[in-house]
This record gives sequence, structure tokens and C-alpha cells, in this order.
Amino acid sequence: MDVIQQLREQAKKLLEEKKVDMVIGFGEGTELARTTPVFITNPEEVSALTWGPLCANNLVKYLLDYQNLPGNIAVVVKGCDSRAINRLVTDNQINRDKVVVLGVPCPGQLDWRVVAAAADPAAKLKGFSDDGESFTIKTDAGDYRFDKKESMLPRCLVCENPNPVVSDITIGKEQPVRNYKERFADVIALEQLGTEEKSAYWDKQFSRCLRCYACRNVCPVCTCRTCVFDQMQPMWVSKRNNLSENTAFHLIRAFHVAGRCIDCGECDRVCPVDIPLRNLNQKIQKDLKDLFNAPTPGSEAGLASPLGEFATGDPEEFM
Amino acid sequence: MDSRVVNKGQLPELLDKLARDHILVAPVREEENITLFKRVSGASEVQLDYITSDVSPKGWIFPQTEKTLSYTYTGDTLEMKEPDAPPKTILFGVRPCDVRSILALDPVFEGKFLDTFYLERRKNTVIIGLSCKTILSTCFCTAFNSGPCDGTGADLMFTELGDKYYVEVNTEKGKSLVEAYSQYFLKEDTEKLAKAKEEQAKKLEGQFTRKVDLDGVKKVLDENFELPYWEKVFRKCLGCGICTYVCPTCHCFDIFDYTTGEFTGNRFRCWDSCMFPDFTLMAGGHNPRPSRKERVRNRFMHKLKYHMDRYNLDGCVGCGRCIAKCPVNIDITQIIKDLKEVGQNA
Repeated sequence: MDVIQQLREQAKKLLEEKKVDMVIGFGEGTELARTTPVFITNPEEVSALTWGPLCANNLVKYLLDYQNLPGNIAVVVKGCDSRAINRLVTDNQINRDKVVVLGVPCPGQLDWRVVAAAADPAAKLKGFSDDGESFTIKTDAGDYRFDKKESMLPRCLVCENPNPVVSDITIGKEQPVRNYKERFADVIALEQLGTEEKSAYWDKQFSRCLRCYACRNVCPVCTCRTCVFDQMQPMWVSKRNNLSENTAFHLIRAFHVAGRCIDCGECDRVCPVDIPLRNLNQKIQKDLKDLFNAPTPGSEAGLASPLGEFATGDPEEFM
Repeated sequence: MDSRVVNKGQLPELLDKLARDHILVAPVREEENITLFKRVSGASEVQLDYITSDVSPKGWIFPQTEKTLSYTYTGDTLEMKEPDAPPKTILFGVRPCDVRSILALDPVFEGKFLDTFYLERRKNTVIIGLSCKTILSTCFCTAFNSGPCDGTGADLMFTELGDKYYVEVNTEKGKSLVEAYSQYFLKEDTEKLAKAKEEQAKKLEGQFTRKVDLDGVKKVLDENFELPYWEKVFRKCLGCGICTYVCPTCHCFDIFDYTTGEFTGNRFRCWDSCMFPDFTLMAGGHNPRPSRKERVRNRFMHKLKYHMDRYNLDGCVGCGRCIAKCPVNIDITQIIKDLKEVGQNA
């Protein structure tokens, strides 16, 4: 039985047995290359659930929106997404007892734009297969092969956890950890630049920012009830779109998620003007690894934040 | 209507000259995959083969951040200064959907109260349209009686045909530009080219995959402010402002004063988004659109009903940016389809 069938059956069972009131998963999108989050409350509607290499969204974010509904919620998570579950539980943002984690080992996720550019837009999806090196998207207009290294999202090329680190019901076969390049390769390349060059690089990126706040809204660890950027009095960062305000926005955000960012790469994926936001967060992660040997946030349950801990025996004098 | 021919080989020289004499704004590739309308210093920077820019060019007429006045308090008088008039700008390479969107914005800023900031820029901008050559899976301009070669609203409309650009001169503004650079705009027999353009338009129109039928959709919205359907749509919305900021017809703004010293400051207007919670937040704390449901509904009501009610114009031009950019695949064409169904089942 394939993953999609199993997912639907598990979802149906959970809903029928009233173990959960809602299942959050992936559904068919409005185009061949896209999927869309679905919220299923009726066991008759589980056929809306799907799975494949076009399920990039981190659905854990929605738990923040719907966790206060009366019943429990089941959520479909990939390996990267699952780190958000651990992190949000540690941050007391979600009640673990109210969440059923439907963990799906992930073979990697394709950049939907690459698929959309290659495939006949009128084609209907029939399924996909995975030979380890590539995905084949099967449609009624023919099959399309996508080399993983060329067509996956950047985050998937350095995936640490293809298998969920937390899961109540695991669906599908365990996936091997395969790194296509050095995990921090992009950050290391940026570190080699001189101060002026670094500044010019980020100035160019941030000047494109639209301040649509998609990076913030998609971020599973952005959990503030009133975000500092929405605060009107005092207005720390204004609505003016200029390099100074845009830089302030991105740097404040990067520091606010420092030590908590689970590196799901969603900020990077959703940016409408392709600002490489993950580089910013990865730089902090790399420093935390170098300085404190800190594992990726959320990769284990109950993991403390290296920047949120206080130890009286800390060798640093200022402590 | 007059028409001319520009030889493809001469376009770079023409663009270089335009950039030298005016502010020339054209599609520019940034990074690997992003195309934005930016000021260019010559033809070498212009990306002629772009399909749809990632952000619409509307910001050159309605900037995301615009200073509307600066003030100085001298102790007994308050001096206020309006910004200088905008310089003459040429917007080159604008796709038909984006030209159409400017026509949808015009009546908003030229209503009972004249918005001089917009109108001055509009007056000082020459729009050179460029027919499409490729149809994206997200494109649906044909739903709004437009098309990939529709020159409506452009001062000059360029269509690439073989080694030539067929140029339609649609307005006085366009005519004076043609006259000023007449060595590039050749007077040739354009009858054949006009036919070739029509054929190309027909061919391209056949390539649209999104068939969108608006018939009956507005009626559903006219008759139903509340629909259980919205309960379904809003759930996945993340509440970001992508759709409104990449949209060529969205035009909401907020106004702020910023002090630059004890007695000096500036007033700005900045784009705002109806997707943000503070958009309708009142001073007393009340918010008439308290959840994403009301906000999502408002956005689609504005596109499909309110704009039509107010200006008798479509509030959407079918550029497809919101579809391509939405991180959760909220798709206006799907919503149109669903609303139609809601109407049929009512």
C-alpha cells in the first residue's frame, strides 16, 4: 500500500475514532506542480490528502492557529517540519498531548517552479516515482524526470533529517540521509567575502525586499502574539520601504529566531523576490555549532536553546 | 492610429538614447530568477526576453514609499514643502496586463479628490508596452477581454515580429516620442505586420491553460456578503502580504509622519495590505475585520466586485502573480470557479 493510501486510512481512523477533530495535510493544488494545505474534519473527505515531492510547506505553523480549537489535531510532517514540533513544545507554544504527528519520511522536495517550467501545464498528475537520484512525475501527458541535485529545493540538498525526529504514526519507508553538498557551503562562501563585499551583497538583497512579511508569517518559530514589526506605538521599524528599514527588519528577525530557527528553509522558499534568507539564519546556526557545539534546534525533544540557557559556572566573565 | 517599424538591430541604440535623455525604466534581471522594473542606464541592462516581472511596474507611478511633504517649525511658523515634480519617465517593456492595471488605477486617484502625486507621475510617464511571446500557466488576462498583444492603454505598443518590432502609436505622448526619435521609428508599410500581429495574438490566445469564466460570479458576491465558502478558503492563508504587494491593481496605502529632528520631519505614504491585521485596526481597538476570514474575503470582493461597483472596471487583470507567488496556493481562478459553483447551487 502506498504512502498516500496509508495516510488517508490513518487520517480516516483518527477522525472516525474521534482521536482528532482535524487533520492538516497536503492536498492537490490548482496546478500540476503544486499542492496546497488541506484541513480535514470529516472522515469522508480524507481522499483530499496527497503526498509526494511537491509538498514543501511546513504545516506545523498551522498548529499555532488552530491549537485552541476544542479537539486534537493531526498534522502531516516531513523530517524538517518535525523539528518545529519539538521546538514549539519546548517553547510551550503547543501542547504535545493535543497533537498527533503523522510523520512521513521524505525523499526530498522539488522546487515547484522547476516542475512547472518543464511540464505541460494542462497535464494531470498520475503519480510519482523515486529512483534515489531522480524523481519521475507521471502525468497523462507523459512522464517528466527531475534530477534531485538539479531540481530540489536548496534546503533538501543538505537535509539532516529526512526521517521525522518526532512522530506518533510513521507512514512510509525510512529514507537515507544523503548530503549533496557541505551543509554550510553557502554560508562559508559568504564568509570568505570582505566586509565591504558582504555589505554590498546584503544591501542588494535587502533593497529588493517588499516587506510582505511572508518569511515571518510562514516561520514556525515566529510565535509572538503581537510582532514587533506590527507594533504601532512605538513603531520600531516603519512601513517605509528603504534599505535601512528593510535591513533592520531582516536583522531583527534573524536575531529573534537565533538558536530557535529549525532550518526548515520556508522563509527562503516563500520569498517572492528570492532573498536568500536561509543564509542569514544558517550563519547563526553555524556559529552556534562552532561555539557551543549546538545541534540544530528541534532535532531532539526538550533540547535547550544555546542562547536561552543560563549556567552559573559559565566561564564567560560577564556572566 | 499611426504605426511604425523599429528594426530589432536598432532597438539597443534607441534604448541607449532614451536612457541618456530621460529616466528609462525597464525589466532587469536580478539574481537568477527575478525580474524587476528598474531604472537602466542603457540597453545592455534590459532583459527583453522576460515573461512576467516578479513585481508589477505600478511602483513607478504609485511608489511603495513616497514622500508627500516635509516640514520645518522655526519657532513661530511652520513651513511645509511639497516634493518636486517627478521627472519625465519612460516605462519600457510593460506587458499588456500591467498596462491594463494602470488603467484600473487611474480612476482611483482621479476621483472626487485628485491625488496629485499619482497624477503628476502618470502625466510624466510614457508607457511603452511590449506584447507577450510566452504564456505562463498562471496567465489568464483573456478572462478580462484582454490578451497577450493588447495595446490598450499603452502610449506605444511594441510587438516583436521576426527581425522587426511593429509599433502602434496610440496616444499624443507616444506620437511625440516617435517624432523625437524618428530615425528609429521607420515609416514602412505596416499592413502586413498588423496582420502578422493579429495572427500571433490568436496563436498565443490558444495557449492559455486557465479558462476563467467570470459570468455570474459578481452576482453571487452582490447577493452574499456572508458565504460558508469563505470559511474554507481562509484557513490556509498565512496572512502575509505577497498577493497584495505583487498585485498590479492593489492600491491601498497608509500615511505616516517621521521626525528627522526636533523641528523637522517628513510625511510619507507607504503601500499597505488588507491582509495585515492592523489594516483596519481602529484607534479604540476595534477591528471590523478581526480574522483572516474577513481579510481574505475582502481581497477577493475587492478584485471581483468592489472595483467594478465603483469604477465599472475589472479589479483584476489576470497577470497571475498572486497565483505564482502565494506560498499556500490560494488561487484566484479557483476561487472564481468555486464562487460560480456556489451561485449555481444556490
